[in-house]
Amino acid sequence: MIELRGVSKTVLSGNQPLTILHPTDLTVASGQFVSIVGPSGSGKSTLLGLVAGLDTPSSGEIVVDGVEITGLEEDALARLRGEKIGFVFQFFHLIPSLTALENVLVPLEIAGEPRAADKAAALLRDVGLTDRGHHYPSQLSGGEQQRIAIARALANDPPILLADEPTGNLDSANGRHVVDLLVDINRRRETTILMVTHDAEITARSDAVLTMRDGRTSTAAAQPV
Amino acid sequence: MRFIFTMAYRELRASWRRLAFFFLCVAVGVAAIVALRSLTQNVRAALATEARSLLAGDVSLRTDRPWPEELDAALARGLDGNAAPPRTETVDIVTMARLPEAGSTRTKVVELRGVQPGFPFYGRFELASGRGYAFDLLRRNGALVGPELLTQLDLQVGDELLIGDTAFEIRDVIRSEPGRSLGAFSFGPRVLVAYAAVEEAGLLTFASRATRQLLLQVDEAAIEPLVEQLRNDLQETFVRVGSYRRTGNRIERNLERTESYLSLIGFVIVVLGGIGVWSVTRVFVQQRMRSVAILKCLGATTGRVLAVYVAQVALLALSGSALGVALAMGVLAGVPDSLVEQTASAAGLGNVSTELTGSAIVQGLAVGTLVSLLFALVPLLEVRRAKPLLLLRQGTARAPAGVDGLKVAVTAAAALGLVLVSAWQAASLEVGLYVVAGFAGVTFVLALVGRALLRAVAPLEASRWFALRHAVLNLSRPGNQTRVILLAVGLGSFFIIGVQATQANLLGNFALELSDDTPDMFLIDIQEDQADGVRAMLEASTGRRPQLIPVLRARVTRLEGRNVSFDTPRGARRAGLGREYTVTWRAELAENERVVAGQFWDGSPAGEPEVSIEEDLRDERGIELGDTVTFDVLGREISARVTSVRTVEWDDTRSGGFMFLFRPGSLGGAPHTYVAFAQGPAEPQARARLQRDTAERYPNVSVIDGLTVIETVRRVLGYVTLAITVVGAVALFSGALILIGSVAMTKFQRIHDAAVLRVLGGNTRMLASMLALEYGVLGLLAGAVGSAAALVLTWALARQVLEITWFPSLLTNVIGMAVTAAAVGATGVVASLDVLRRKPLATLRAE
Repeated sequence: MIELRGVSKTVLSGNQPLTILHPTDLTVASGQFVSIVGPSGSGKSTLLGLVAGLDTPSSGEIVVDGVEITGLEEDALARLRGEKIGFVFQFFHLIPSLTALENVLVPLEIAGEPRAADKAAALLRDVGLTDRGHHYPSQLSGGEQQRIAIARALANDPPILLADEPTGNLDSANGRHVVDLLVDINRRRETTILMVTHDAEITARSDAVLTMRDGRTSTAAAQPV
Repeated sequence: MRFIFTMAYRELRASWRRLAFFFLCVAVGVAAIVALRSLTQNVRAALATEARSLLAGDVSLRTDRPWPEELDAALARGLDGNAAPPRTETVDIVTMARLPEAGSTRTKVVELRGVQPGFPFYGRFELASGRGYAFDLLRRNGALVGPELLTQLDLQVGDELLIGDTAFEIRDVIRSEPGRSLGAFSFGPRVLVAYAAVEEAGLLTFASRATRQLLLQVDEAAIEPLVEQLRNDLQETFVRVGSYRRTGNRIERNLERTESYLSLIGFVIVVLGGIGVWSVTRVFVQQRMRSVAILKCLGATTGRVLAVYVAQVALLALSGSALGVALAMGVLAGVPDSLVEQTASAAGLGNVSTELTGSAIVQGLAVGTLVSLLFALVPLLEVRRAKPLLLLRQGTARAPAGVDGLKVAVTAAAALGLVLVSAWQAASLEVGLYVVAGFAGVTFVLALVGRALLRAVAPLEASRWFALRHAVLNLSRPGNQTRVILLAVGLGSFFIIGVQATQANLLGNFALELSDDTPDMFLIDIQEDQADGVRAMLEASTGRRPQLIPVLRARVTRLEGRNVSFDTPRGARRAGLGREYTVTWRAELAENERVVAGQFWDGSPAGEPEVSIEEDLRDERGIELGDTVTFDVLGREISARVTSVRTVEWDDTRSGGFMFLFRPGSLGGAPHTYVAFAQGPAEPQARARLQRDTAERYPNVSVIDGLTVIETVRRVLGYVTLAITVVGAVALFSGALILIGSVAMTKFQRIHDAAVLRVLGGNTRMLASMLALEYGVLGLLAGAVGSAAALVLTWALARQVLEITWFPSLLTNVIGMAVTAAAVGATGVVASLDVLRRKPLATLRAE
């Protein structure tokens, strides 16, 4: 479960304070698949970054899977992410110096998982890329890279998956493939998914939609589709 | 732990090409250290083996007078109740040898040595016949002679030789002998006879100058206490006490200088390598920021990520060091054996190994790894700044305002580590501090200069010339090169120019000893009425006017001084002024002299006696300007006031050197003799003829032929010069390579800008001149600071460490500065050529 209470973010733009996220309350129930939509600059990615503990809110509290994360230190946040949160980026962000398989292995190794190799192989199979494991990211297509990134995000079986426009950089066929994968994950693993997207097809297939504009959410809760 | 090494391995697998330069820097530095140190250690090992046989005993006591009465008591005290050790005596006399035929005038100055049956305790004689040496060869007036005597007097083994009035039978020829180091000053060929025979021949009369030596064989542990006790007890006598550990001659001194110089160079190359490492690591870390952010996003803590990169650096450093060791092995194996043998035998050494020594290998690996880690640590700290938020936004992490405590602490620790490593390497905390103080000083000045530069060129930001305006703006833009290039190039040029200038200084000092007009023939004891005749004869034979210097023997008996005063010869001995000084008078300074205090007299004769003293007499013995020194000159007392202090360059032997120099007229009409310094004819026969003529016409005059010694010294210094030049060239080459590489690495910073400017319509020429200006200005400044600091470094090294004359080699500095500016400017452009040539889109995509 994800819970935001009065969370806001204000940054300094030049010498002027600029609020990019106005105080927001939000609850995403366990196992829910929520899409966040809105024009660029509306605060979608900021919201996602805050939930992942990649950024610190100016005010408010964030509770992720029962843990209040706002007071946590950088290293504690890193450990929390390793355990509870998977992240999928628009630009994939695979480590270019590692093979596909190794990219999936990294979070398992960081967590000290003893059966890392088996698990990584199973994840590659789940995303349908068993035979691409020894390729470097530069040798993979965008769709393949994103599927590897999803496998990586699922490595430690996190209860929560955050995705920042995962199909934004893919053609529609690859995009559909990725969405199928995410929906499947949500159903089978009961993973809570919070996703920023511009893609109407994804929005249609999610449990609820949160619309944002100028740093404000249109409603206090995600609207069921 | 496993994660750290697996990740380090994977990263290295992918990025080794970018880090190859890192690897190379470490390897070059370590190769230099290991090769130079091994060679030094091998030479030192050879020296240690030789040292005992150079003296032929453990402890030696020498005197030019009969043994003092206190000797036996002092020996007993020194041995502290232990049984009397084996002892043997020798006596050395410089005398004339003649042919026994009646009326023969063929003579030769020889170094006659009388030995007792126990000689030598160490070392072996090598005789031309191949048989072993035994004292029996010397019994019943037998003699062993140096090979040159046979050729010079046209003699053979079995012939007779007259010394004094005694005839000696030549029984064999000495190839090499213990107790006489090559390169030590020699008056003539060796003639070895029995000690008793010297006494019987009546050569130990009061008038003859005989040096008696007592050699002792004692346990290693007993040497130092015995030497100390004897020195203390015999300080008021004319006995000099030494041990095999303290034998030193000119060649050894030069080898020592060479050794400290070479180990310093080795370290400097490693430090240059360290600068390369720093530069590579900096760029590498910046390129890795995104990967670091991903790792953090996946749950890795900052500590673990840092550990991954430290492990990479350590792995690279260790394998680079190993490659360095292999390189060193190859280099030493590549030195031709004949060259090693020739050099070793010229220096009077036995076998010098060209294998790497274990301790050199360990040191190389340790220094290579340590220096790499020290230089890499500070740039590696940047990974702390990689925030996973980066992945959601474009742009780079900005340095937070305020002081970064950890960075300051790590920098301080790295600096301390560097002091320790360099002190360890130079085997002297002093040298370590000089090097690191130089390093820190230059860094500080460079930081100030960098700031001043930005302020000074700021007005150019308004320039209408696009390239200039942007070059200037680039100096202070985010991600600018200013600090990095100033530091890397400034420090690098400081070391390289410093090494070149020190080399020039070292070789300059050798050149003084090697110069073509070094006199190689010395005539001593020329009487006043013979001076004109000798002068004319030498001039006729050599075609050059010889230098005749009047000399007297004088002893200090009284001193009325500000610091030291005494009024007996005993007091003089206590003050360390007991020996007999050879003094002279002159109206002007010699070429190798310089007045450092007081006023040197003009040409007019003295009203009252005046004397000029050598600097050491002031610094070591406490004599000051204005003091009055009283001398005993052949029984006559002469009191002279000290009116000036001179420094004498002792290495420059062209005009001799005098501790006390008198104003003409000060010594009245005291009887004196002359010493002639001449450069004898090069042709051996003419040389022999000149010597024979002198002996015939002036039998009392001794001719000392220094040619063989000077040639030996020349040969050894020739090899040393070669070694220094080669090593200097290696330092220059590898240093330049490392610096060019470091500067080239910074291009990654400008790739993106260049590509964007291209998209906006910038042409190649504009971009190139922009880069050339930016890098050229930085190079010029860095070179200027580096070369100015190098001047200071050279001075400190020359005067404080190597103890040689300092020549400010301004040319090296100016050239160094110009070359640095040009090289940095050119490197900036050339390194970015691919960026300038490539289609901008390719560059932007690769980002």
